[in-house]
Amino acid sequence: MTKDIYIGEILRNEEIQEDCFLMKMKVASSFHDPLPGQFVMIRIAGLNDPFLSRPISIYSFSRGKSFCSIELLYRVVGKGTQILAGLIKGSQVEIHGPLGNGFEISTVKENIVFIAGGIGIAPLSLLIEHLCRSACLFTSAITVYLGAQRASAIVGLDKLQKLCRDITVCTDNGTLGTKSLVTQAFQKNIKKFSPANTVIYACGPKEMLKSLAKILNTSKFSCQVSLEERMACGTGACMGCAVAIKDQKGTLNYKRVCADGPVFNLADIIWD
Amino acid sequence: MKSKTSPQMAVNIGQLKLKNPVMTASGTFGYGEEYSGYVDLNRLGAIVVKGLSLKPRLGNPPPRIMETAGGMLNAVGLQNIGVDTFIEEKLPFLRNYDVAVIANIYGETYDEYKKVAKKLSAAKGVHALEVNISCPNVNKGGVSFGSDPKIAARVTRIVKDETSQPVIVKLTPNVTDIAIIAEAVEKAGADAISLINTLTGMSVNLKARKPHLKNITGGLSGPAIKPVALRMVWQVIRRVSVPVIGIGGIMTAEDALEFLILGAKAVQIGTANFINPHATIDVIEGIKNYLSNNKIKDINEIIGTFQP
Repeated sequence: MTKDIYIGEILRNEEIQEDCFLMKMKVASSFHDPLPGQFVMIRIAGLNDPFLSRPISIYSFSRGKSFCSIELLYRVVGKGTQILAGLIKGSQVEIHGPLGNGFEISTVKENIVFIAGGIGIAPLSLLIEHLCRSACLFTSAITVYLGAQRASAIVGLDKLQKLCRDITVCTDNGTLGTKSLVTQAFQKNIKKFSPANTVIYACGPKEMLKSLAKILNTSKFSCQVSLEERMACGTGACMGCAVAIKDQKGTLNYKRVCADGPVFNLADIIWD
Repeated sequence: MKSKTSPQMAVNIGQLKLKNPVMTASGTFGYGEEYSGYVDLNRLGAIVVKGLSLKPRLGNPPPRIMETAGGMLNAVGLQNIGVDTFIEEKLPFLRNYDVAVIANIYGETYDEYKKVAKKLSAAKGVHALEVNISCPNVNKGGVSFGSDPKIAARVTRIVKDETSQPVIVKLTPNVTDIAIIAEAVEKAGADAISLINTLTGMSVNLKARKPHLKNITGGLSGPAIKPVALRMVWQVIRRVSVPVIGIGGIMTAEDALEFLILGAKAVQIGTANFINPHATIDVIEGIKNYLSNNKIKDINEIIGTFQP
């Protein structure tokens, strides 16, 4: 047996932008190192309403001498995240993970493009950190498009600026960076990249990923995306977090975001 | 110092001998593998695997689940790999463990039940069958197999004729009188009865004025349904003599003990696995502690000791 349920002790939990919180917790050092793109299930012990744990991707992870620290970047969207947002330093949560499959780490070293919408930066940020640290990559190979509806919904920019330089920020209403949808900002520059030496990673709202799928439709770009879906178990048992995926023959199959994903090839996703 | 002897936890469901009365509920524990990292499967009373159909089933389009107060709704639509793939790919893994494996089976027609049962009766490592009769019947135009006593009895007989393994029939609570169905399947040869499956419910997205589930309706599970499950187990136990397995909202050892006190010979842990992957072991340990603390040497001593 290698998997366990951990008690996370909250070290800090702050609203860093409107409705967006950064939670840092410490867990026992037996917690496994997460791969970028993996997530945890988090809940407050004994709470029956809301009943289910919440899946949240890992934003940052570090291993200390006697414990590990995990950072989660999350947006308050409902009852569960509202309760998480109310936790103070010293409170405890139950977590298990790291769960799911992470991003496939690119062997392409020339151009690595990240497209993030709002809170979608969270799993991508861990990947960028990982690439910068361990993949012998020139930070100049990394291009980030970070978008949100408005300035107050842009998160994770500080950390990004420490990791890489080529960052395009855009907002729907123009309150920060370029006034544009993040997918349009990328599309404008798409000619800078060639499918042979570029890999794209994206995470964000469904509509954003859908339009990215349209933009990349007939191109040969390889694009991995991290999806979000309501989950009950997080371990592949309940089949609740289904997403329609094309197999090699083009036939529709329902895959589990938790256990088969959360990372999928954008081209394989069947949008409704 | 004398070491405290551990209470005797073994129970028998007819011919089926279990190490302890705690099983997993079908559809909440995958094929065992999914939880093997969290739980030593050898310690479980039994593993009831995800419902198996003759052919693989795609399942329902998403969204498939919705959280509710004290529970959740699901409309997964019995997505599964099919009985053949189960036997080829999942059963060998389960054979590595010393645990009773119960195959939950599902059919859209009488013939499908018959064929699935036949395939599993020849499979090494399956110790019993649990027949899911709470699904739409294409033969009967939408009537659930489990809501008509005659149909429920016929399915039971068909499965019994195909296998020498013990046959457990799992009842739906979405009926007027569950005891009538229980009596019918007992008469048809069921070796045990498990109940309850999920209660049909729905959830409305007020903002969108749409259902939260693509399927509109779904099955309610979780602690919210425990009182209904207890009531139905109580109704059934008084009317049948075959062993009854209690299911519905069990989160803790105390919940499980309530069903055992009523007379259930065993229990199944379902939705609790989702929020606590270690729930089955926690319940087993909790029951042991309860017995030790109350100086009860054998679990069977408390089964059916309810005093109305």
